[in-house]
Amino acid sequence: MALNGIRMGAGRWRGESSEMENTMAQSLRENLHLVSDPSNLDLSVEEVFSMMLGAACHPVEEAPVEEDETITAVVGFGGLLSGACVFRSGGTTALEIAGKLTGMEFAEIDDTVKDAIGEVCNMLAGAWKGRIPDLSANCGLSIPAVITGSNYQIHVQAPEFKLHHIYRFESSSFEVTIICDGLQ
Amino acid sequence: MSEMRVLIVDDSSVMRKIVERSLRQAGLNPMTVFEAGSGVEGLEVLSNQSVHLILSDINMPSMDGLEFLRQIRARNLAEGVPVVMITTESSEEHVKQAILAGAQGYIRKPFTAEQVKERVLPLVAAVVGG
Repeated sequence: MALNGIRMGAGRWRGESSEMENTMAQSLRENLHLVSDPSNLDLSVEEVFSMMLGAACHPVEEAPVEEDETITAVVGFGGLLSGACVFRSGGTTALEIAGKLTGMEFAEIDDTVKDAIGEVCNMLAGAWKGRIPDLSANCGLSIPAVITGSNYQIHVQAPEFKLHHIYRFESSSFEVTIICDGLQ
Repeated sequence: MSEMRVLIVDDSSVMRKIVERSLRQAGLNPMTVFEAGSGVEGLEVLSNQSVHLILSDINMPSMDGLEFLRQIRARNLAEGVPVVMITTESSEEHVKQAILAGAQGYIRKPFTAEQVKERVLPLVAAVVGG
């Protein structure tokens, strides 16, 4: 999947002086351990689910339950770091998450469910980058893109690094992946 | 409290509903809510309706929240109406930009209903004198 085509939102990198860019890029490289720290992702997921859904959520080792229909939301990063935050779950889990978030009941993956999952991914991406000082102000987020269907895979060629965690939410599970395909 | 008229600007209809629910939980009742999916739509609403409070996302298609805020001020729409940004962008730089553009409040997503109450009610009280 090409990440470059994702349109950046208002928080995009707004070309400062090249000296400042170089300093920030250097700082980010020196603090790469913070970017790739798995606990930042876990804390971000727990925070979003606790605050917005009132639900506990924790990382697990087991493989997610595969369903015929899956939903994937992608929020792109641009600026000092380029890449994406990807949320993926089965359809049943998506309905449960959307239901918790909105206080509504859903029988199928409609536009509201897609919107809800896109927003969850958006908040996960924002919470994750907000935990890394160099990225907070210098890495913008795209508008969420949501994909539904079955038997599809998202492939990013040779990412610089990738964090991929599975989380349990009540009786369901979902995956969150942070892909970094380039540092400025 | 007299009826509040609130404009919520966010490209996510789900998020608009969540913000509305948080405002009602904060005690803003009765309340009429106007919704807009972008800054452009928000300006259209403001050209036809008067409101007591505006809550806006930042990252939106067509016109982002900061440009929306600048346009409100430039066009003298909603004079004296407090604007609160609700966004995933949490850096000091974004907060600074929002304040420079004329925002009175800033709420980071994810948020709790309690946070909405704490940040919004004082602004509302100042506007309606409650």
